[in-house]
Amino acid sequence: MPALSIRNLVFAYAHRDADNPFSLRIPTLTLDQGEQLLLSAGSGSGKSTLLNLIAGLMDPQQGSIEVAGQNVHALTGASRDLFRGRNLGVVFQTFHLLQGFSAIENVMAAMLMADKPASEMQPRAAELLSKLGITKINALVDELSVGQQQRVAVARALACKPALVLADEPTASLDPTNAAAAMDLLQGLCKEQNAALLCVSHDPTMASRFTKRITMEELIAASAGGTGFQPVREGAHP
Amino acid sequence: MTDFTIVLRSLRVRAFSTLVTIASVAVAVMLIIVLLTLRNSGKAAFERGSGDMHLLVTAEDSPLVSVLNSVFYANAPRRPITWARYQQLSQQAPWAYAVPTAIGDSYRGFPVVATTTDMFTKFVPASDAPWKLRAGAYFPAGDEGNWQAVLGSTVAQTTGLKLGDTIYLAHGYNPRATKPGSPDPAAKHDEHAHDDHDHDHDAHNEESEEAPGAAHVHMEFPTKVVGILEPTATPHDRAIFTNLESTWIKHAKDIRERMPPQTPPLEAPKTSADLRESEKLITGIYTRLVTRPGSDAPANLPQVFDLLRRDGSLTVAQPKQETDTLFGSIIDPINRIFIAIAIVVLITSGIGIMLALYNSMEQRRRQIAVLRVLGASASRIFNLVITECAAIGLAGALLGAAIALIGTRFAASIVLTRYGVVIEPHLSPIIIVYLLAATILLAILAGLIPAIMAYRTSVAKSLRPTA
Repeated sequence: MPALSIRNLVFAYAHRDADNPFSLRIPTLTLDQGEQLLLSAGSGSGKSTLLNLIAGLMDPQQGSIEVAGQNVHALTGASRDLFRGRNLGVVFQTFHLLQGFSAIENVMAAMLMADKPASEMQPRAAELLSKLGITKINALVDELSVGQQQRVAVARALACKPALVLADEPTASLDPTNAAAAMDLLQGLCKEQNAALLCVSHDPTMASRFTKRITMEELIAASAGGTGFQPVREGAHP
Repeated sequence: MTDFTIVLRSLRVRAFSTLVTIASVAVAVMLIIVLLTLRNSGKAAFERGSGDMHLLVTAEDSPLVSVLNSVFYANAPRRPITWARYQQLSQQAPWAYAVPTAIGDSYRGFPVVATTTDMFTKFVPASDAPWKLRAGAYFPAGDEGNWQAVLGSTVAQTTGLKLGDTIYLAHGYNPRATKPGSPDPAAKHDEHAHDDHDHDHDAHNEESEEAPGAAHVHMEFPTKVVGILEPTATPHDRAIFTNLESTWIKHAKDIRERMPPQTPPLEAPKTSADLRESEKLITGIYTRLVTRPGSDAPANLPQVFDLLRRDGSLTVAQPKQETDTLFGSIIDPINRIFIAIAIVVLITSGIGIMLALYNSMEQRRRQIAVLRVLGASASRIFNLVITECAAIGLAGALLGAAIALIGTRFAASIVLTRYGVVIEPHLSPIIIVYLLAATILLAILAGLIPAIMAYRTSVAKSLRPTA
């Protein structure tokens, strides 16, 4: 069972400016368990829209997105939210840690929202943070360095042992040293937990980290060939 | 970790705003509780002061003034009743007691109540607090009890007087001019008395030099403290009790000294036998009718009441009825205005909660979106915001209730010291629970708009990276 399977996906914004229409078409995209894919995409290419669709935060007009064998868009309301919490981990460009919470509380919050048993929260969060080299687990996240904050974000994304991790420009806010360290940890931890990783980035140094990569041009070509991912402008598409 | 941890952390992040909002709720709740507590306790205190008497007879202008002056010692009664009229009246009805009182003297701002031993043997100041001596004894009946005083518990506590101490009572009682516990005006006289053995003469000279309105201290009549009473939680705790004979002799001496020169001189009286009938005056009579065992309401009360009212020189008051009138016509409407103001303050604080959360929503959209990504449903987010409001309401209500309970005790001690009204702050726990529930409900209502905003937060839009 693949971690991610996209088929015949079509999405268009309902209230988009008529002079600037936008749609996203992806015939197929598959990511197996433990597989790691780098998607190189620039601004305005539709990468955020794709991630939101995979996370179930937006609904496509056509097609299906399955995560761990479950069609995300067949679920509604709270059950979709809970499914997302349990099966998807997300690492954001700007971390989006919960301000006023300690490092361990940020990780535990993910498990709480996914309705994980209370007895598992503390040990699991502490174990993850320890693996990622965070020693001050009770320090408020505001008191941590930027690199440490990103590591807390990685721990949070993997807290519920998700099938798929979405990383949206995970190193954009980090210096090269911290970026390399964060990616080592993210990729290592995903591999260890057999979680698939879809990393979206326009950082050229990331390419060497992934054996499976797709650039925007390749995606368009792949789409023409019946596989892959293609952002197109409405009207420009045949 | 629970959802409530999320709520607490969220409140902590906005600590200043949270504390200000809690404080505004607390102030409103405190106001309401204080007003309700003092209203209930104040009424109970007023009802308590008249003890087991059925009727109060005076020569005052109105029944309410009678009760305020003769039971609560608000002022010295202005018009006297003759002793002869008292004796006649005491035969007019089947009284269980008819205790005469004469109020007009004072000691350091405390009223002196001249009375008979019936005050202690028959009148009961409060059903749960009959007279009881902490030390010493009551003064004996008749002239044998002259120049002896029994102190109420507050007087003893405030002045520090002990058994065997000598005090000099002052003519006149004006609580507005002299606050209870004021310095002893006799102290100055005492110093002179030690310098000059003829202190009668000296006191007289001092009197002529006193400023207008200053109390005339009866230095020629030293009075000995023979008894100290246990507290009764009534206004009588701040009274000094002496016998009637002493008061009559004291004032007869004053009157006789000031008689015009052309009238035949009269010697200062030494005992009550030396007094003329016109010099035997009282200011009030505490009365109780005979009742059936186990009953406090005599069947003949209306008839006796009507009978006494036929005498135009007398004012007859039913103390409990006067207390109800006082509260119903004067104090209750004022209380209602204050409670209305407090409710407005509470509603305003509810609006404050709404504004505080509403204003924070812009900053919190990102946090809400993150929680949604982590798996929280929109309804869970709604509940978190509502819980946050309820927590602010609960914290404000509890803080307000705590301050109110401490505040009312403080206010009660001030009222006791200044006005002699004993207030035991008490409010039904049910009312406090209702008030807490109402406050929380108001806070929840105030949180509805921010909670709906949180519910409708667009996750995708809120997570877009900022420039």
